[in-house]
Amino acid sequence: MATAVTKQQQVDLREPRSWRSAKSRIMTVLMVIAFVVVIIPLGFVLYTVVSKGASAITGRFLTGDIPFNVAPVTVGGIWPAIVGTLLITALCTVIAVPIGILAAIYVNEYGGNRLLTRIIRFMADVMTGVPSIIMGLFIFSIWVIHFGFSGLAGALALGCLMLPIVIRSTEEMLKLVPDVLREASYALGASKARVTATVVLPAAMSGITSGVLLAVARVSGETAPLVFTILGGTTTPNYNVFTGANNALSMLIFQNAESPYTGAQGRAWGAALTLIVIALITLVVARLVTSRVARLSQ
Amino acid sequence: MGRSQRADPAGLAGSARALTQQRPLGDRIFQALALAAGLLVLAILVLIAVATTSQSTSWFSHEGITGIFTTTWDPAHNKFGVLTFLYGTVVTAVIAVILSVPVSVAIALLLTEVLSYRWARPIVYVIDLLAVVPSVVWGLWGLIVFAPWAQRTIYAPVAGAVKGVPILGNLFGPGTGGVVSGPSFFTAGVILAFMITPIVTSLSREVIATVPVIDREGAYALGATRWEMIRGVVFPHSQGGIVGAVLLGLGRAMGETIAAALVIGSIPAITSHLFSTGYNMPAVIVNQFGESSGVFRSALLGIGVLLFVLTIIVNLIARGIVARSMARQRGA
Amino acid sequence: MQPRGRKQVTIVGGIAALAVAVSLSACSSSPSHPSGASSPSAAALSGTLNGSGSTFQTTFQQAAISQFKTVQPGMTVNYGGGGSGKGRSDLASGVVNFAGSDSPIPSTDASLFAGKTILYFPVVIGPITMSYNLQGVSNLKLDPTVIANIFQGNITSWNNPAITALNPGVSLPSTPITLAVRSDSSGTTANFSLFLQTAEPSAWKLGSSSTISWPHSARAAQGNSGVAQVIKSTPGAIGYVDYADAKASGLTYASVKNSSGNFIAPSTAGASASAAGVTVNPDLTFHAVWGSGAQAYPITYQSWVLVNATQPSANDAKMLQAYIGYLLGDGQKLLPSLNYAALPASIDQMAKAQLSKIKG
Repeated sequence: MATAVTKQQQVDLREPRSWRSAKSRIMTVLMVIAFVVVIIPLGFVLYTVVSKGASAITGRFLTGDIPFNVAPVTVGGIWPAIVGTLLITALCTVIAVPIGILAAIYVNEYGGNRLLTRIIRFMADVMTGVPSIIMGLFIFSIWVIHFGFSGLAGALALGCLMLPIVIRSTEEMLKLVPDVLREASYALGASKARVTATVVLPAAMSGITSGVLLAVARVSGETAPLVFTILGGTTTPNYNVFTGANNALSMLIFQNAESPYTGAQGRAWGAALTLIVIALITLVVARLVTSRVARLSQ
Repeated sequence: MGRSQRADPAGLAGSARALTQQRPLGDRIFQALALAAGLLVLAILVLIAVATTSQSTSWFSHEGITGIFTTTWDPAHNKFGVLTFLYGTVVTAVIAVILSVPVSVAIALLLTEVLSYRWARPIVYVIDLLAVVPSVVWGLWGLIVFAPWAQRTIYAPVAGAVKGVPILGNLFGPGTGGVVSGPSFFTAGVILAFMITPIVTSLSREVIATVPVIDREGAYALGATRWEMIRGVVFPHSQGGIVGAVLLGLGRAMGETIAAALVIGSIPAITSHLFSTGYNMPAVIVNQFGESSGVFRSALLGIGVLLFVLTIIVNLIARGIVARSMARQRGA
Repeated sequence: MQPRGRKQVTIVGGIAALAVAVSLSACSSSPSHPSGASSPSAAALSGTLNGSGSTFQTTFQQAAISQFKTVQPGMTVNYGGGGSGKGRSDLASGVVNFAGSDSPIPSTDASLFAGKTILYFPVVIGPITMSYNLQGVSNLKLDPTVIANIFQGNITSWNNPAITALNPGVSLPSTPITLAVRSDSSGTTANFSLFLQTAEPSAWKLGSSSTISWPHSARAAQGNSGVAQVIKSTPGAIGYVDYADAKASGLTYASVKNSSGNFIAPSTAGASASAAGVTVNPDLTFHAVWGSGAQAYPITYQSWVLVNATQPSANDAKMLQAYIGYLLGDGQKLLPSLNYAALPASIDQMAKAQLSKIKG
């Protein structure tokens, strides 16, 4: 405990107890205020989206094909965009999460303090700052030019966006797993891979899940990388995520919200509401599942 | 961190199997896979850097290195100086971090130290809700709802109040020509702050949750109040993790494209007045890429390269600060 | 560039065409269904065409694509927008079959197309309005000199003598002028600035490009509708907005003096007149701004569909001929209801004649 307290942070017991506990209470109030400060704009955003988008949501809206933008909001729907978003986000998660977790395991468990490890760790940090449009251009120049527009190209671009977040958050979580756990397992004769997979990862699982879910939430709302990789503009659903142009809710929102036609704007906000609902359901379900799995495995 | 060397069974006789000097196949495959993943990440980043830089060479040869420090961005006359965008990125990212980090850490502390698990769970979902709002919706809301409201109720009164005051007036006073604009550096900073809060909060929460209970209870046993325990135990323990979370948020703030493009005003300017319109690097790329060609396009990609370099510099500085404060702490 | 899985596309396209045809016939306000008597070579084609580029064309392309499904149900056409520059570079990289562009290929891009012959098919004309927000003033008159000075920040209030001179009898307030401009690069900006440069070469100093360095006090917004929003919400604002978007947003716009000295209000007829009075190059490039003609609206621009003359397969060539032929033929009938101008007959004929040059 002594090592954790530096000179500036020592408790000064000469202060009257009432002042110290008052300070503590003030801090608690500030924490609550911080929470409220964040909730209020969130409430306004959701209110805006719901009030502008809820009226568009009907069964036909969710399952119909995309009409031309002059058409009123009662014609057609956004199903092709929903399909695109679901397929592309799922594919990009499947691609990026294993690679990200493995890379974080390498950096933290196997890498030691070698130069290569430090470079990889540093580069993962740098990658978090690359603008999403550059990722899209990158995948365009190395993939789309050779293989054409496809949902896969979009998934690769979004995967590149997800990767650094997954690596960074996983690595932080792995760092926090106490060595005691590892050493105990080694003492029982487990190999390093076994230790990592059966002891370290489960201990860090809730944190890793948080990081992954946040990365998925972020990526489902990105537009710029998709413009260069899936083309958009499709009016019918494309269930083949590996070939052919595709569409996505985020692209639909961006393109239609800027249109002067009320039908297009209605579709944009309806799509925004749909995207938020889909993403929220995914996050809630994922958290429930992982917490139940964690509880079962204990 | 010599952790892996200390506890590595492959080195010492940690198990009977090690007597054969041969690690099990599964172990070696796992290690190879992990190494491959790490190298893949490195390869991707190098590829991105190479691809972007190679396409921006014609801008570098057109403007030279001085292009980074010139302010005139005029594609109609073939001028591509990018200093205004660099300035804008730095300013908006700084505002976003200053606004977001205290709030995020406060919420993380609220969730781990103050609230019981039962109350904390739904709030975690609320923070998730903050994260699932797509960036284009943040941008649209910021443009349509927040910016006009803020301009009326916050910016205009504040600007009027601090006009003429030495430092505050320069920051929050009216800009050239008395302009106080809704879409501005400050609005962009605020919207970015909202966007990076979920990830900083979530990661900080996970980090703070791993503080050993022993240390916490030890502090209480000595008579510390909750705040003193937080300052004395939680912060030193989770410092590194929180800085990691902040860096992630900072990265996002610097690279966020669509939301920034919608609310920053999109008129290039270098000015200390935070309530006036500006521009930043990702915004100019996304706004002007679709119609660009030739040197113009290569200039936009050059801006991408600069953002890379800026991220590297910021990360180096951040690591330096963290390393120095950790060293100071251990020496105490 | 043909995608694999053409069969899947055909099946999906067929089902989708059925769905769209059923839903389109359910809301019967759409223009008349072509009876199939339009194109003599109505052989059923199948496959996918991808296009990207000009956002000016997007509304037209989307309407044409949905109607084209009834002509060629086996074909799927996707138009992704993204800007003329992106369209041209996508075409050069070979990832799209056709590109929409508001300007001819600039010399800086010529190297991208080395060795390829690109065919220009003009498909749509449209006016750019000078939309403004001045209470009580509904028929403002402007001329190129005044517009140039307003947008360079030299004229800063509405009751400036230069403006009042053009509008005798109208009482203009002393409200300061707020400029509404585009934050994103666009063909609208490029052609608006081209108009100013052509009509006022000495007075207009900001050049002509998809991105202009506007005066610092200007308010920038995304897209035509963003600019329209700024104008609507700011008294004293003036900006350049596509006619179709200005009408959809309910804006008031000014009459502009043309090269013959008449003040013409923006309209599809005025746009067609401007295009008719313009010299067309043999490769079908031209500039519709500042066209001659007593009834011409001077701020008019055009957009082309660009394709490679040599296609990788005979099917690609046939599909492109069918779709572009539709855009030039029955597709033109869709334009008035969308508030765009159809091509003048002479230009349309030249474009149709060029269709046979697409070879696969």
